[in-house]
Amino acid sequence: MFLGGSRFQCRGPRFFFRLSSGLPRYLAQTVLLLLTMTVFVTTVAAEPSDPVYLSELIRRATDAKLADSREWHALLHYRLNFFGGVTSEQDGPTFFLASDGKTNPQTELEATLAGFFSDTLIGEAKQTVQCAFVARYAWLKEQLAFDERRLPSKDCERFRNWMQGLNPQSVTLIFPSAFMNNPASMFGHSLFRVDRQGQTPQTRILAYTINFMAEVPDGEGIMFAVRGIAGGYKGNFSAIPYYLKVKEYRDIENRDIWEYRLNLSDAQVRRMLMHVWEMGNASFDYFFFRENCSYQLLPLLEVANPEWRLTEQFTWWTLPGDTVRLLTKQPGIVGDAVYRPARTTQIRRRYERLSSDERGVLKRILQEPLLVRDQAFQQRPVERRALLLDIASDYLRYQSVTDEKQAETYKSRDREVLVARSELKVQSDNTPIEPFVTRPELGHRTSRIGVGAGYRQDEWFEEVSFRTVYHDLLDPEIGYAPGYQIELFSGALRHYGKAEQTRLERFTLANVVSLTPADSLFVSPSWKVNVGMQTLRHNNCRYCSAGVANGGAGLTFETHLLKREYFFGFGELETTYSHAFEEKHRAGGGGTLGMMADLTDRWRLLASATYLRFPLGEKSDEVRWSVGQRYTLAKDAALRFEFNHRERRDNEALFTIHAYF
Amino acid sequence: MKKLLILSVVVALAAVPGAPAFANDAYGNGPGCGLGGDLFKGNKAILHQVLAATTNGTFGLQTFGITTGTIGCTNNGQFASNEHATMFANLNFDNLSQEMAQGGGEHLASLATLMGVPAEQQPAFFAMTQEKYAALIQSGETTPAAMLKALHETMAAHPVLAKVSLVR
Repeated sequence: MFLGGSRFQCRGPRFFFRLSSGLPRYLAQTVLLLLTMTVFVTTVAAEPSDPVYLSELIRRATDAKLADSREWHALLHYRLNFFGGVTSEQDGPTFFLASDGKTNPQTELEATLAGFFSDTLIGEAKQTVQCAFVARYAWLKEQLAFDERRLPSKDCERFRNWMQGLNPQSVTLIFPSAFMNNPASMFGHSLFRVDRQGQTPQTRILAYTINFMAEVPDGEGIMFAVRGIAGGYKGNFSAIPYYLKVKEYRDIENRDIWEYRLNLSDAQVRRMLMHVWEMGNASFDYFFFRENCSYQLLPLLEVANPEWRLTEQFTWWTLPGDTVRLLTKQPGIVGDAVYRPARTTQIRRRYERLSSDERGVLKRILQEPLLVRDQAFQQRPVERRALLLDIASDYLRYQSVTDEKQAETYKSRDREVLVARSELKVQSDNTPIEPFVTRPELGHRTSRIGVGAGYRQDEWFEEVSFRTVYHDLLDPEIGYAPGYQIELFSGALRHYGKAEQTRLERFTLANVVSLTPADSLFVSPSWKVNVGMQTLRHNNCRYCSAGVANGGAGLTFETHLLKREYFFGFGELETTYSHAFEEKHRAGGGGTLGMMADLTDRWRLLASATYLRFPLGEKSDEVRWSVGQRYTLAKDAALRFEFNHRERRDNEALFTIHAYF
Repeated sequence: MKKLLILSVVVALAAVPGAPAFANDAYGNGPGCGLGGDLFKGNKAILHQVLAATTNGTFGLQTFGITTGTIGCTNNGQFASNEHATMFANLNFDNLSQEMAQGGGEHLASLATLMGVPAEQQPAFFAMTQEKYAALIQSGETTPAAMLKALHETMAAHPVLAKVSLVR
């Protein structure tokens, strides 16, 4: 029963250790081990084992309290649990050598020491314990000064080859920015890149990455969200070449990438990678909000330097931007940051460098690439021709990815363009591409609390509001993409003075808005979804709770009249459930027009007007409009003043101070 | 969009041994890269394995799993060094063709590095790919491996690059 099949036979002896304790324990262990050697002859047969030395090592480890040490807990991913003990976050079957290793650091340490004597091959990759758990071995060897004659070290050829393949020099944290069109990437992503010795800025794409992700079967649909949040998927580490990641993020999903060089010593890099090798035998239940791609990078850093305490900073959720912020806050961990623009960013920035005449030429080339053979085009300066052709090629490749049906057309146009480009013996314009979005760690923190007061209908109120994550259109924009809003689990408690009533004024499950300005190059729809509870006034009900779901699609245009303005329009559908309606519900549709304008760097205005008609349920219609203003006080503090008009004379003015944490 | 990425990996993995054998056998017939051959023989199981490894739009666990990623062209989740140039050309053909036309770029520099072209010869290498672009890319239309072969041949005829001893 303790042998657990043929996986790992060294579990056996540990059973006997637990029969005794204290000083007689050592004697008992030795005697029992000697006795049981004959029993285990069948399972540990012919293995060069030394039970006396094993029990000596265990005794010394126990005396030194190694099982309680920070290093051991980091290597095994132990975290404090509710009962004052520890539980490991690792959930796979081959990572622990003791049957209760998930919750018992001491038995796991003893079983690990026993395993070091064994030649039994464990795990999917069939390695000895020493080779499967190279970081545990290196650390225990150092702590206990293993006698090479009594516990010989094994040659781990595969691990050696793997390290040689990585050829590590340093580690870089990679942060691909948020991507609205994939729910799994809405908050961005993060991974490590293992930079190679002798690598140049030109060849860093050859480095391997360390990437934690969930195994999600195809066609999961809505279950993806449920399982992703509840830990229904297995997450594993993999080491994908960085050029494939660059292709995925920069070329296909059009996401900017930030690269933060980490200042780790050679020994720290090596320790971390030895532990990454151990992760080949580990798997973790993937929790979308906390134990996710971003969180699971932190234990690797804690192994690199056990003095860093990173995982405990996150209780409920870990967003990739937060990990970047956390690491940049630790003195000395993060070195310089390198920006790698998305393909679309590169196109837009280079397009800005064109004259209006050149823009016209570019449009014609995109339709008819053979125009580049015309005399008129050939007379332009060679640098300008190269720039035009570079933009055209990038744009045609962008089109071939976004419009798969026409991909062949765009590809053949791209070939024409590139052949013409190869005839121009000039370097491409290498002016650095400036990002449209500032570095994520410079932005406000993602949780928010607010204290506000205002006047609704005919009475004063005070309220406190709370948001778990992440960003809304009126929050300070630095570090976040403009026109990008995700609010999850936010709400407000409000006390009405005259009515002497305290109520949950509103609660948002999810309120997502994506305003993507359409221009002559890129036309993407804008969209919004909002599901939650609101307070409305209707018929005879003065303050009535209502469940509301609203969704719409539309277009956004950008101008630069003052600083920057977005004008947007949506067609939308809405359904509401409330006791305020005679038939308990109403459903219908309508439209919204709005404007978002930056008046100064700190001051933003957001105004919108909506008309909705509800032909289903309680037949009615409604005009709403609102004007909101934000003034940024500091990175993590802002003032907000909002005026909302709803049905009939339901007017509300609200003044709030927000703090981000 | 994701499908494109998956497709490109499948095509890349498949194209390697399917390419015509090279005179010098430097690329394309490495022992680990049996995947494409199997594909052409209709081995659905391996195709399925690669597809499974690339679902969710990301390359994943079977192909690049740490300690376990041992299929076709990878061992312990890493490409064998003698096959890496071919795999790289397969997986990055689009970016390579763009950078060859522009006479430089990180993908082209990385390919040159994998082929063993020393840093000081790389500008000559870039200029050569730009010079011979139309011919090189035409061979690349058949398979990226054929493009690598054409690159090799072009280098052999180049006054400076012919002296570079490449990774075999």
